[in-house]
Amino acid sequence: MVRKDMKAISLKNITKIYKTGDENTVALDGIDLSIGKGEFVAIMGPSGSGKSSLMHIIGLLDTATKGEYCLDGQDVSKLSSAKQAEIRNTEIGFVFQQFNLLPRTTVLDNILLPTIYGNIENPDKKADQLAEEVGLGDKKHNKSNQLSGGQIQRVAVARALVMDPTIILADEPTGNLDSKTSVEIMHLFQEINKKGATVVLITHEEDIAKFASRIIHLRDGKIVEGK
Amino acid sequence: MKYWMILKQSLKAIFANKGRSFLTVLGIIIGIGSVIALISMGNGVQASIDSQIKQLGTNTLTITAGGSRFSQATNQTSAKNSTQTAREGVVGTVSTLSENDLLSLSDTQKHPDLKYVDGAVSGTAIIDTTSGSLRVAVTGNSTSSFQISGMTVESGREYNQKDIDTKANVAVLGAQTYTDIYGTSDALGKEITIADAQYQVIGVLAHKDESGFQNYNEGIYIPYSAAFVSFKTSDFSAMRVESSNDKVVEAAKTDIVNTLLANHNITDPKLADFTVMSSKDLLSTVSSITSVLTSLLAGIAAISLVVGGIGIMNIMLVSVTERTREIGLRKAVGAKTSDILLQFIVEAIVLTLVGGISGIVLGYAIGLGATKVLGFTPIVTPRAILLAVGVSSAIGLVFGIYPAAKAARLNPIDALRYE
Repeated sequence: MVRKDMKAISLKNITKIYKTGDENTVALDGIDLSIGKGEFVAIMGPSGSGKSSLMHIIGLLDTATKGEYCLDGQDVSKLSSAKQAEIRNTEIGFVFQQFNLLPRTTVLDNILLPTIYGNIENPDKKADQLAEEVGLGDKKHNKSNQLSGGQIQRVAVARALVMDPTIILADEPTGNLDSKTSVEIMHLFQEINKKGATVVLITHEEDIAKFASRIIHLRDGKIVEGK
Repeated sequence: MKYWMILKQSLKAIFANKGRSFLTVLGIIIGIGSVIALISMGNGVQASIDSQIKQLGTNTLTITAGGSRFSQATNQTSAKNSTQTAREGVVGTVSTLSENDLLSLSDTQKHPDLKYVDGAVSGTAIIDTTSGSLRVAVTGNSTSSFQISGMTVESGREYNQKDIDTKANVAVLGAQTYTDIYGTSDALGKEITIADAQYQVIGVLAHKDESGFQNYNEGIYIPYSAAFVSFKTSDFSAMRVESSNDKVVEAAKTDIVNTLLANHNITDPKLADFTVMSSKDLLSTVSSITSVLTSLLAGIAAISLVVGGIGIMNIMLVSVTERTREIGLRKAVGAKTSDILLQFIVEAIVLTLVGGISGIVLGYAIGLGATKVLGFTPIVTPRAILLAVGVSSAIGLVFGIYPAAKAARLNPIDALRYE
């Protein structure tokens, strides 16, 4: 049930400039992008194309130098850091490529991490249920260092879902996985998308991007294809 | 709920690094432990001195020759108006307590609050014993000395007023001194030489437990009148008075001061050539000394607390660097700056509190160990515990804030990208 008429994410003229000494590096150069509710979008591009910068801005982990960002119709680019943290907690679920889990911490406790900073009813039951859903029912009490790469990403997906966010942001979630496990993880994202969440995936692999319903290509901080 | 969860996160982080956490806490344990040990031992010493002073009797007043520092200095100028000119002016050797003073204070008609009055003349004698020569303290006293000190004779008799009036050369031996000189053989009727005079032993005292300040078991007791002759003096070095009950101690003190001032023809109490001290006065003097010493020692121990606190700060800083990406992850999933701040401060405070409580136990144990060696009981007061816990959590807070603020200020992407 993709509804392109309802915008989950709307970016207007987003520009990000990094200052390193006297040099200015333009990472994002006037990005205009709309992602509808329930879409599954893959953002592709070679390294240095600005795809990570874009994802950090979408995920409210960083603020744009210029431009307007509306999330669910609300302008979020000018919010305080505390308010942004609240939105990250309730509206956005993250899956990263590296350092996804707390070390020496069980699967369940990792899934529960966002609930510390938010407020949901019966978080333990929810975490338990999610662990089952991502196929880790038998590993709930294993610590993160006893898990394989694929299992780690499953935990990360479950954690991203625990607060029932509207948007899932995945930054190279299959970057460290073999192709078989990668496919399994991508199926997981497809399932999540089918249940209604907007999924934004960042990858440089064509095979992985194909799981998305729409592919956006970035190069030198500009959208070159798929707008 | 949220705060409880953050506390749980802090505890988990502490337990995840047990060895390091222990070493961090060790600094605080040693700091708090030494503060508690020294304060409790200080309190113990004070209590022990207090009880020994109380054993002297709360009714007891001690009169020593020589006034306060102030009156010593000004006696010279008042000499014109005084009949005491010859006796004054030499600091430290002032002897102003005469037999006349003793007799006037002993008048129970005029001084109903003064139950017993005793004058003491001190000297020594070298006595030949079975195991060589021995220097023994000799004290000339009035008969009331036996009542004030609670001394009783085991064999023979005490000297009496008649012995004092006739300046009889009779001696009563302390229990230990008797054994030192005569072993187990009979001493009564034997003669001993004190300051070139022959004294006849008329009694041996029963053994009496030491009271810290005075050991009545060692010494020879003779009538003060005979001591005046033998030691070639006419003054007491000190006098002791026992008031009829502990409610009239202050009244008795005033009475003594007024009587002696009148005896010595001194009008200004500031110029008194004697000092009257009650047990209470002595107690407060000693207390002030021991409390200064205790504070001094606790102050030195407090330095180690600061060192321990710096240890905590150091470890927390290392921990922040090491957990940079964890902080980034927490921020990404919705932790606010204040949440991270709280987590790290709680971590530091928990470390110091655990250290503080262990330190109290350690300090008390050290104090108890010291009891066996030093012979007094350490006293851990609630105030000392409160102080230790308060100081340790304050240290946790002070030394924890900087690392915590450093962690909380991290930008989430910088933290996530940190290698």
